Amino acid sequence: MSPSGISTPSRIAGSVFGDTPNEGAMLEPNDQPQDARNLISQAYVPHIAVHTSSDTKELVKDKGFDGGLWELLRPFGERVQGKVTVRDSIGAGKTWDDFAVRFVELGDGLERSEQARKSSEIKSPTMPESAGFTLGQRARTGGDVTQVEALVERHLTYSEEFPSMHTEDYLTYTGTPSDPESASPFYTLYLRRLLSAIPLSPHETFSHPVACIIAISSRNANPIEALRNLYDESSHGEKRLPLWVNNEYLRYYVLVHDEERDDITKSMTLFDQMKRHFGLHCHLLRLRSSQCVATDDDSVQLPRCQWMSATEELADIQARESLEDIEDSFPCVYESDTTAIKTFIREMVTQSVIPSMERCVSTWNDQVASRRRGISGRFMSLSKKWTGFGGSSRSSSPAVGSGSSSGSYSNYDAVQGFYRPDAAEAVMRKLADYAFMLRDFKLAQSTYELLRTDFNNDKAWKYHAAANEMAAISTLLIPKAMSSKTRTETVDQMLETASYSYITRCGAPYGALRSLALGMELLRLRDGSATADAARWGVRLLEYKVVGPIGDALIKERVARCYASKKGAGSGLWGARTRKSTLWSILAAEAWLSLGKYQQARLRLNEADNKSSLLAHRDALETFSEANVFLQALRREVQDPYRDADSDERDTDVDEIETTVEEESETFNGRSHRRSLMGPAIPPLSSIETAPLQTTLMDEAPKSATADQFE
Amino acid sequence: MSYYFAIIGTQDNPLFEYEFGTAKQGGDGVARFPEQARHMNQFIVHSSLDIVEEVQWGSGQMYLKCIDRFYNNYVSCFMTGGNVKFLLLHAPSQPAASTTARASTSIAANPTSPQTEEAIKQFFTETYENWVKTIMSPFYQVNQEVRSPVFRSRVAAAGKKYL
Repeated sequence: MSPSGISTPSRIAGSVFGDTPNEGAMLEPNDQPQDARNLISQAYVPHIAVHTSSDTKELVKDKGFDGGLWELLRPFGERVQGKVTVRDSIGAGKTWDDFAVRFVELGDGLERSEQARKSSEIKSPTMPESAGFTLGQRARTGGDVTQVEALVERHLTYSEEFPSMHTEDYLTYTGTPSDPESASPFYTLYLRRLLSAIPLSPHETFSHPVACIIAISSRNANPIEALRNLYDESSHGEKRLPLWVNNEYLRYYVLVHDEERDDITKSMTLFDQMKRHFGLHCHLLRLRSSQCVATDDDSVQLPRCQWMSATEELADIQARESLEDIEDSFPCVYESDTTAIKTFIREMVTQSVIPSMERCVSTWNDQVASRRRGISGRFMSLSKKWTGFGGSSRSSSPAVGSGSSSGSYSNYDAVQGFYRPDAAEAVMRKLADYAFMLRDFKLAQSTYELLRTDFNNDKAWKYHAAANEMAAISTLLIPKAMSSKTRTETVDQMLETASYSYITRCGAPYGALRSLALGMELLRLRDGSATADAARWGVRLLEYKVVGPIGDALIKERVARCYASKKGAGSGLWGARTRKSTLWSILAAEAWLSLGKYQQARLRLNEADNKSSLLAHRDALETFSEANVFLQALRREVQDPYRDADSDERDTDVDEIETTVEEESETFNGRSHRRSLMGPAIPPLSSIETAPLQTTLMDEAPKSATADQFE
Repeated sequence: MSYYFAIIGTQDNPLFEYEFGTAKQGGDGVARFPEQARHMNQFIVHSSLDIVEEVQWGSGQMYLKCIDRFYNNYVSCFMTGGNVKFLLLHAPSQPAASTTARASTSIAANPTSPQTEEAIKQFFTETYENWVKTIMSPFYQVNQEVRSPVFRSRVAAAGKKYL
């Protein structure tokens, strides 16, 4: 399809060593937290919007959270307490103990920049341009590759400055050292931030709210009225989400009781009243309203939010750096509050959110998707395509304006670029996304599969790309053996289409980056020839030039890792990709070096050395003249900054000391020892001569350079 | 199109290297690899040995066709009887410029087309003949570098003739 679509010859996939006994075998259970599957299931989680009254905002502000209730809830949503049981489409229950939800403020994640740029594209008449969407909300919108790069760059600089600190501890906040097989912490961070705060957009519904918390506090004078107003605001008032968001999500009513100021009996009666009015989806959340400080008896630090957008984290770091006291800047909450919040979230998720999602999935599956799956469904889509005869079932959704003129009878509004939420395609997409979020990957995969052709017929390219992306990902997530042939026919094809559609037809590099990076990670987990496939997608990602310099280096590193994870057979490791992996490690080292990240470069170069020592002919690369020269130069450069620093230091040392010989020799010994820790031992520049000679050697750069070459 | 031809010995060591450009369609026969990335050819060829070692058992042929790709560089391979590998790296000069109909059918623009495969095969076969003759020299030992100017000129002639 694309001109660059010439892949490496496919017969490699079916070669003698590619078909190792465990070729395409069942995926092993994912017990590692760094596993890509865990990352994905934590990234694509139901979003719950939070919409509160102004008095609730005040109450939470008294506690020290300026953002509002969502800010207080957010860290706790990342791991719902206890086990959560989800029923899939067949009715079989499955239990997860790492289920998560994401709390956002209502209206978070809207792609504002795009709206400003192309006012014709997504512009709903119901949403005034200036209404209520603050700057902070824009910062909480992810999907900005440059911001992700800036953030990773910042962390990298930090780790360059403090090399002794364990970057793993620093980044994962857990303190458990990761094994050398897993990804570098910076790559994990990169992926995580890439998937954080997925923008609210028509073509995928992951960040569309699954439920909305409508909260008032016990300080409210007119509670029932306030709740009604909030509901109206969220469904057709100024906080109404754009037209393409399905408005029929669950509303969950919360009464926040102020433990310190208000009377619990009054709140209880109010809560009973709420239950009568709004049904079962209600909760009484009891919080203390005073601010908690670290020195309080039962204070606990608020857990850090792991899924904030890159922009937000950058702002957070900056804010924290401007503060004097580090300890002071982490917000604390009372332990009783955390218990109340955890109970609240658990109750809401298990009793309201998940059942309502399950209900939606089964309803949509019965009413829309299964109709399409049968023979008649195929006929209907055909007739729709040719005559428009089968369109009767969709007559409920008249196309808006003149948009329907392009595709004769399609539901796609080509002018504004979206499906109305009640169109069959939009409902199916939502069904697939719900199933994906509930981790029913089989149902999700089959639905995405149906959507792929639909979107293709309607020429809804962004939808098409997104459906292909998710179809590939959910296919790879199903823990089923897959032969290399089916893999090339399905997954590769989908990834190819997704990336091509994203880049060429939609100009959305973020989507392409996301789909290929995830595809690469998931393919890597499958043994055999799939790892080579994974590496190929990584290289494709580099060819598309959708990543910045940091991402470039990280992905090179990752390609090396993909090649390395292909295991060879027998004593000679036949069929392994050690040499390829070595090459990519060297390339990554070069990339890091050009970015001035010496530490990373050194790590990669050591990796390359380790790998080539596995080879039968470990010195083979040195017999290639130019390659060897390059490699030596790289090794030297990686050491260089320390040499420069040393020489500067030495200059000053010499000026300061310049007296007794003993003192001087002592310092020199210490330094050469230190250098030997950093890499291959380099003999001290010269034996300890007189001080003046040393300084002249350092002052004249060319001389020292020649000295380098003789080492 | 620029070519880099390398003969790799049994210990992954290069025995012979030669760079040349296309002589077809007004080419001057000079390789145009970017100057600052000259080492890359060697790196690529070395890393392709992984694929060679895998593919060589798949078919009974000595000519393995195009086995690997690194960005815009394609690697074709020919196995000799003594586990010495001929590797030819070919890089189409300007993928974007090949819009004219004439250029798009030429060998230079289509590194994986059957015509290119055939041309490379002929090049390999002729070089193999010369190679066998060269290493029949009583003074040659296994995995020794080949410095014979005659062999070099014959490889150059084959390159000019077919590529």
